Amino acid sequence: MNSEEIITVATGVVKSWDWATETSQPLPKQLDVKVKLIKELVPIIVGLRVKRLGYLAAITGIDLGPEVGEMDVLYQFCPGDVVITLRVRVPRQEAMLPSLCEIIPSAEVFERELQEMFGIQMLGLHTTEHLYLPDDWPDGVYPMRKDFDPQILSH
Amino acid sequence: MNTKQEPQRFVIPIGPQHPALKEPGNFQFTVDGEIVTKAFVRLGYAHRGIEKAAEERTWIQDLYLIERVCGICSHIHALAYCLAVEQLAHVEAPPRAQAIRVLVAELERIHSHFLWMGVSGHEAGFDTFFMYSWRDRERVMNILEKLTGNRVNYSANVLGGVKFDLDKEQIASIRSGIDFLEERTRHYLDVVATDFMFLQRTRGIGVMSRAQAEIMGAVGPTARASNVARDVRKDAPYAAYKEYPVDIILDERGDLEARFEVRLKELFESFYLIRKILDTLPGGELTARMPRKVPAGEAVMRVEAPRGELLYFIRSNGSDKPERLKIRTPTICNLTSVVKLAIGHQLADVPMILAGIDPCFSCNDRSVQIRTSSDPDGRMLSWDELRQHGIDFYKRLEK
Repeated sequence: MNSEEIITVATGVVKSWDWATETSQPLPKQLDVKVKLIKELVPIIVGLRVKRLGYLAAITGIDLGPEVGEMDVLYQFCPGDVVITLRVRVPRQEAMLPSLCEIIPSAEVFERELQEMFGIQMLGLHTTEHLYLPDDWPDGVYPMRKDFDPQILSH
Repeated sequence: MNTKQEPQRFVIPIGPQHPALKEPGNFQFTVDGEIVTKAFVRLGYAHRGIEKAAEERTWIQDLYLIERVCGICSHIHALAYCLAVEQLAHVEAPPRAQAIRVLVAELERIHSHFLWMGVSGHEAGFDTFFMYSWRDRERVMNILEKLTGNRVNYSANVLGGVKFDLDKEQIASIRSGIDFLEERTRHYLDVVATDFMFLQRTRGIGVMSRAQAEIMGAVGPTARASNVARDVRKDAPYAAYKEYPVDIILDERGDLEARFEVRLKELFESFYLIRKILDTLPGGELTARMPRKVPAGEAVMRVEAPRGELLYFIRSNGSDKPERLKIRTPTICNLTSVVKLAIGHQLADVPMILAGIDPCFSCNDRSVQIRTSSDPDGRMLSWDELRQHGIDFYKRLEK
């Protein structure tokens, strides 16, 4: 598939969820999908995977700061030279997202990272052990959040 | 080595010190006799908080920080960062700069593959191979030093271009160096394909099928050795790869032998590409003008590091610092696969399987904890404290 075909197929998949998504194309080879209902995230990803567009390149968390009180999570899929980004927004308090491990095993490392760095609980992820942070890292401190203060660690 | 008993099973920890390469990572293998039945990975021993640190620094300071994500593939990290920032700022580096970037990237690939070849030879107990390949690697290191002034952390990139130009003498030394390395690579390819003792450690070991490689998201030479045609240089050409295309080297066997052959054959592509760049190096400027502030927006940049696809995501808020910088390294993708691959193998094959993906832990891990004899529990330091600690430390040394 060339890039236009990939974009057409992916747009077709996402269109089945048009009540839950907003699609835009910021660059010719980028497809940006805002997923407004988190419960539709997994079905959309399954849809992409069925069409063989499901190479998950990364899951990126972005904290928007305590004033906004929300965080962005971007799922980046990279079939061919196209980047398909699925965006969801979660609250900073008690953030929860469904785990993708059942459909994409390689998502585990990204999810463990989100869990410890941003404090997003991944439903269905079998481990809560740290991947990167030390074993004695204090509970409830998430270093990639904007209001993280390293002073909390000095004792 | 500590062993911990589960009901009728042993868990053998490998690492954190030097699990296969001379880098820290911890793997826990549950074994039944000699056979691995379960595997678990724990990283972070080289985590330096680079993604967080990048948010506190300006676009220009970040370039120097990013170059230090990894010693082996520092250029490709800086390149991915520069390309992403240039995309956000709508600046394009001049053709000559793009060609020089590709040239250094390919030289870096040669150095990285030679390094890997030696290390995995050493893991297989083939130390002669290790010593010869590392001797030869010095040649490409010398070329890189001659070009950029450094053996590692070449610092060839600036935002908007490159720092140095090539002169006639340098071009001549690259050419003779490449000729030498090509001949040596041919010899090594022959060794890994025919040496009976070595084949016993590689043939049919750690087999990953195409379907497995796809579902586990393997990248780079590890994926290509399982017949997955995934190479960013070809799929989404960046810098000057459009003008200087490469062929994808594939192998369908998916075992360690295939991974050796794919990497070695890739080197011939690199040699070819370097010669072509030297023959047809475009003239002109080396840098384009770069604004101090980068317009708000997002950029995703993918490049082909020696170990596979490297992804940079940058969000800018229009200021002189990035809002978020995310680095997804190839090793993290391949580690998941290696952990799954080890299951069912002899414990003795695990180091080779680990080395087979060419893991780079410092790339992967990006907190700082200082342990001293007076403070054995360790203490977390902020960046300022760490900087001060460094200054004081070296001052003490001077006295």
